[in-house]
Amino acid sequence: MSVLKPFSKLPGLKTATILLVEREEQFQQSLADALVEETGVTVNVRLAKSLPLPVENEESRPRIDLVVFIINLTSELSFQSAEASLKYLDAGYFLGKVCFMVTNARNTLVPTNRLDGVRKLAASLQCPLLFAEDQTPDGVSNATERLLAILKVAAGLVPMATALYLSNLTRCTVPPDIDQPSFD
Amino acid sequence: MAAAELSETAHTELLDRCEEQFAQLEKLQNEIILSEPDLCENPQEQAVNRLIATEAELKQWLTMEPKLLAENSEILLQAGKEEMLKLCSELEMIVLCYEAKRDKLKETKELEEKWLDEKKQMLVTATHHVDRLQKEKEKLPEHSVLQDTKIKIQKMKVYQERLMECLGDILEKHVPLPQSETNKKKKNNPQEMNEDLISLNEILELLMNKVLNTPHDPYVTIDSTFWPPYIEMLLRYGIAIRHQENNFKIRLEPFY
Repeated sequence: MSVLKPFSKLPGLKTATILLVEREEQFQQSLADALVEETGVTVNVRLAKSLPLPVENEESRPRIDLVVFIINLTSELSFQSAEASLKYLDAGYFLGKVCFMVTNARNTLVPTNRLDGVRKLAASLQCPLLFAEDQTPDGVSNATERLLAILKVAAGLVPMATALYLSNLTRCTVPPDIDQPSFD
Repeated sequence: MAAAELSETAHTELLDRCEEQFAQLEKLQNEIILSEPDLCENPQEQAVNRLIATEAELKQWLTMEPKLLAENSEILLQAGKEEMLKLCSELEMIVLCYEAKRDKLKETKELEEKWLDEKKQMLVTATHHVDRLQKEKEKLPEHSVLQDTKIKIQKMKVYQERLMECLGDILEKHVPLPQSETNKKKKNNPQEMNEDLISLNEILELLMNKVLNTPHDPYVTIDSTFWPPYIEMLLRYGIAIRHQENNFKIRLEPFY
C-alpha cells in the first residue's frame, strides 16, 4: 500500500505543491488554472481522481504540501471516494496538510445529512472545511485565494505560521446539536 | 531576496547563509526519513498525534530566541524594507476591515436605539392610560353600584305595586265579589257564602305568590273561600289549570 508521506522529500525553493483530489475531475481543472497564475510563489498543481497515486510517478513527483479533497455534495459517490482515499495518506498529513473543499452546498437536492457527514469527518480529522462555488469565475477565484493562503502556510513560506498552528485555528468543528433536526 | 544592489560581501554572506540552512534542512530530512513512521488511522490516535506535535512545536517556539538575520547591514536593510511594505499593506487591510465592522456596529446601534425609543414611548402611553383608568375608578365610589341597584329595585317595586293596584281596581270594577243585592255579571248563587269569599284580586295574588315563593309546588288548594264561578272563569281562559290528580288544586299557567 503506497501511502503518501509528507516529509519524504526535500522541498523546492520558493515552491509549493498542492494536490487536488476530486472524483468528478471538473472543478480541479478550473482551480488549477487559477492557482498557477500566482506570481509570488511557484505553485505546482497535481490533479488526481483518488488516492493512491500511481506508482510510476513516484520518483518525479515533488513533495506535496497540501492535499485538498474536493467533495461534490450532490453525489454520494464523491463523498465515499474521498473517504476511501483517506487511507492512503500518512498520519503526518493530518497535522495541517489536508483540507476539505465542498461544492454545491446550497443546492436544494442535497440531503442535509450528507453535509453533516462531511462536517463530522472533517471535525474528526481536525481539518479545515471550505465551501466553494464552482460555477462562476468569481467563485473559482475566491476558492483559489483561500487555498493559496492555506497552501503558503503548509509549505512553510509564511514566517511564524506553521501548518499545525493554522489548522488548529481553522479546523472544522461540529456544533453540538448537529444530530437534531433543523427547522428548514 | 532581491540581490540587485548588494555588494560582493553581502552576496557571499547571503549565499553562505543559504548553504547553512540547506544543510540543516537536509540533515533534518534524513532524520525524518529514518525515523519510524507509525500507521495510525484511528481518530483517537490522530488526536494524540496532534497533541504531541503541538506540544513539540510549542517547546520549540519557547526555546527559540530572536537572532539577527544576517551580519551584513545591506541585507538587513533590504529585508527590512520588504517586510515594512508587506506589513503596511496588511495593516491597511486590517484598518479597512475594522472600519467596516465599526460602521456595521454603528448601524446596529442606531436601529437598537430607535427600537428602544419606540418601546419607551409605548411605556409612557401605557402608564398614562393606567393613570386615567385609576382616576376614573376613584371618582366612582364603590357604593354607587350598590346604590344604583337599590334605586332600580325600588323603582321596580313601585312599578309592581302600581300594577297590582291597577289590577285590583280593574277587577273591582269589572269582576266584583258577588254581593247579596247587586249581581251584575255573575250567576245568582242561592247559597250564602258572601262573607268568606275572597275577591278575584286576592285569588290571583295567592296564585302568583305561590308560584313565586315555592316554585316546586305552585298548587293552591281550592277551598270554600274561592267563589266557583271565578275558578271556572280562570280555568276556561287558561289563566289557571287544575292539578292532574287532585281536582281541588290549581296553579297559575305561565303565559308569555
